[in-house]
Amino acid sequence: MKIEILGSGCAKCKKTKEIVEQAVAELGIDAEVVKVEDMDAALEYGVMITPAVVVDGDVKVAGKVPTLDKVKEWIS
Amino acid sequence: MDIIISKTEDIIIMAEETRMTEGVKCACEAAIIGLYACAGGSNVGQMANKVAVELTKQGKGKIMCTVGIGGNVQGIIKSAEGTDEIIAIDGCPLLCAKKSLELAGFTVDKSIVITELGMKKSGSLDLQENDVKEIMAKMEDALAD
Repeated sequence: MKIEILGSGCAKCKKTKEIVEQAVAELGIDAEVVKVEDMDAALEYGVMITPAVVVDGDVKVAGKVPTLDKVKEWIS
Repeated sequence: MDIIISKTEDIIIMAEETRMTEGVKCACEAAIIGLYACAGGSNVGQMANKVAVELTKQGKGKIMCTVGIGGNVQGIIKSAEGTDEIIAIDGCPLLCAKKSLELAGFTVDKSIVITELGMKKSGSLDLQENDVKEIMAKMEDALAD
């Protein structure tokens, strides 16, 4: 599983990455978590506001920090 | 010569400001106001798009992809969900942008219609600079309402 965190490196983006990594660790899932700071890559997904989380190519959220439970739901 | 250098610097500064306000917007910044223009095939449709572009450049909102709402494109739908306020800018009373947003389940916080700002609808696609200035001036009031 590939989880991409799209963002510029701002506070909300960092928080999102922490939550995703926590969810992956707690569920013990084998996932590659990638931080993508290239905003052109975000546009490729149609994402126009960040932070955003993309799981295996599917955009799950944009412009908001997701909750831990929500991330677990996406990757379970 | 000095004037030329000054103008060049101005252009570079303007380009930098534009670059910062276009593209992807970070939610860490101020509230995100999504601007959804109809960009329809008429003068007022093109004016709606022009207005959204200019407001984005001025930092008064963020132009978004309206067609992606109708097409249910996931990244664009999720981006709309992440906005704090949604403004639909339609060219005419057909309200295609507003209706597309509502059909997708979004609440439109503000609906602006270019014809209601005094521009007559026609099939011409070329915008006149004076018309753009006039509509932009009226947008100030429309957004303040």
